[in-house]
Amino acid sequence: MDQISFDISIVEYGFFASAILVILVGLYGALVKKSLIKIVIGLSILESGVNLLLITIGYIQGGTAPVFSPQLLKDMPLTLENIKALGNEMVDPVPQALVLTAIVIGFGVTAVALSLVIRLYRHHHTLVIDEIKNLKW
Amino acid sequence: MVGSPILFVAVPLLAAFLIPLFGFIWKELVRIVPGIVLLYLLILSVSLYIQVLQDGTIVEQIGGWAPPWGINLVFSPFTGLLTTLMLFLAFIIWLYSYRFKNVDFEPSKKYFILLLMLVTGSIGIVLTGDIFNQFVFIEIMSISGYALTAFYTGRDSAEASFKYLIMGSLSSMFLLLAIILIYSQLGTLNMADIASKAHLMKPEFRVLALVFFIVGMGIEAEIFPLNGWAPDAYSQAPGPIGAAFSGIVVKAGIYSIIRVTFTLFDVEGTMQFLVLMGMITLVVAEMAAIKQDKIKRMLAYSSIGQMGLVLVAFGIGTEEGVFAALFLMVNHALVKPLLFLSASYLVFNSTEKSIRELNGLGKYLPLTSFLFALGAIAIVGMPPLSGFWAKWSMLTAAANSNMILIIGLVLLVSVVEIVYYFRVVNRIYFFKKEEDVEPKKPTINAMVSMIVLGILIVTIGFYPDLITSYLHEASESLLDKGKYIQDVLSAGQSIIQ
Repeated sequence: MDQISFDISIVEYGFFASAILVILVGLYGALVKKSLIKIVIGLSILESGVNLLLITIGYIQGGTAPVFSPQLLKDMPLTLENIKALGNEMVDPVPQALVLTAIVIGFGVTAVALSLVIRLYRHHHTLVIDEIKNLKW
Repeated sequence: MVGSPILFVAVPLLAAFLIPLFGFIWKELVRIVPGIVLLYLLILSVSLYIQVLQDGTIVEQIGGWAPPWGINLVFSPFTGLLTTLMLFLAFIIWLYSYRFKNVDFEPSKKYFILLLMLVTGSIGIVLTGDIFNQFVFIEIMSISGYALTAFYTGRDSAEASFKYLIMGSLSSMFLLLAIILIYSQLGTLNMADIASKAHLMKPEFRVLALVFFIVGMGIEAEIFPLNGWAPDAYSQAPGPIGAAFSGIVVKAGIYSIIRVTFTLFDVEGTMQFLVLMGMITLVVAEMAAIKQDKIKRMLAYSSIGQMGLVLVAFGIGTEEGVFAALFLMVNHALVKPLLFLSASYLVFNSTEKSIRELNGLGKYLPLTSFLFALGAIAIVGMPPLSGFWAKWSMLTAAANSNMILIIGLVLLVSVVEIVYYFRVVNRIYFFKKEEDVEPKKPTINAMVSMIVLGILIVTIGFYPDLITSYLHEASESLLDKGKYIQDVLSAGQSIIQ
């Protein structure tokens, strides 16, 4: 097996670029903004960007679902050539499973973050992060 | 076969979510059940470890999916050692906090649920052989860590927890990016499979994935620029949770960095990078520790410094260096929880939690103060205790690899450690007690747990041979990358045939 290379079409290139753009927007929001709520929103956007990038990897333009139905197996018995052809046609299911997990985790983190923001607001009566500095930063 | 590694993840998770139901039956069960679970897992872990030393690595395939397709758990001499250590500490911490919030049912229920989740996540990180699965376990561990940091509503714990959460979730996104990079290049998530195919990745992608990994996991391992959360979280979380962070969570973080650098990628210069990061972490943390006036912040910075020391020892790269690093990890995992547990009783009733308020407590809490002093001597590395052998093996490893700079730095840092630890011990024993602080006597179970740790430190100090053979097995198992790959992947092949 030699170095793995992949052909990137212009559409996929656009997907990659937009996913990275979303990641950068999220990073900007999380790192630069002063409001606690905006920081949490930034984190959320960052997660969406990473998920988008993850799903783009397995994406094939015009690809089908990776399901070996009885009908499909009747049309194309599993010979090596058919498997290769199907591999170019079917979307990779693993990134989709990963994204599903990552979305759930991101939901959990956002929920904990927002509950902490509520606690901080009750304690300090402000959402500006510069004014919350009882501990050393 | 006494049991399988999957139980280490399944049983505590199941127990954690069943705890509220147990609470309906009998409220005391909420406290008893975690202890039974942890004790069972500890016994299982010890017996599996003995079996592994005789028969070789156990590879568990989850759901019957053979590696490299399915998720697998690897119980090798190295991961088994860490699992046993973590479970032992978890049991000690449970014993210590058995009467935690015993007048209040609701908080103690949440506390024990989250503690079990924290232990599950940490053990999962160590055992799993799949990088995405490791990401999931890191998230389980860190989300319960955020919640435990914010446990006390009275203190500034929400602030500490929010800081931890921001850093933790940003870095976990980098971890996910590293996983994306690897999957897009190699099409696999299994660690052994990645390790055998890593040379196929383009070098720039390989370095980028490694950097993202270190950023993602360095947060739990407290590497220098990523450890801003640690002093706040340690000082604001409940006392036993500080012990759990330093004894369990940090070990899991170090494990994942070591697994990635030693097994997954063979990038040239990684070892020097580890040494450099470790040294920076060490120096910055010890300099910060000497300035602290709050006892728990001081212990947190000392914990960061010790992790820097462990990284330097791993970075030496030889078998001796890895052995020394494991010895330092075991030593730190026994000593730092002892320091946290005893210190949280020493400052139990004070409001400031500062070192000044420890004045003269040696007369009022003799045994707790003695155990704290014992821990201080052990972590500094004075001869009769376990810390001495750990630092000694590290210095010999460095000397045999001609790394004179490391030796000088470690000795210098030890002097700094002596200064700030003995300043505290001095205040405890030789200063007059201030009137306004009324010390609280430790409960019996807390006392027992601290004494067990103290006895272990002294025993290892006098008979280091008791554990060195296990540490040698573990370090060989970590360094033998080919055997790891073969163990995991051959388990898959035997099923196909």
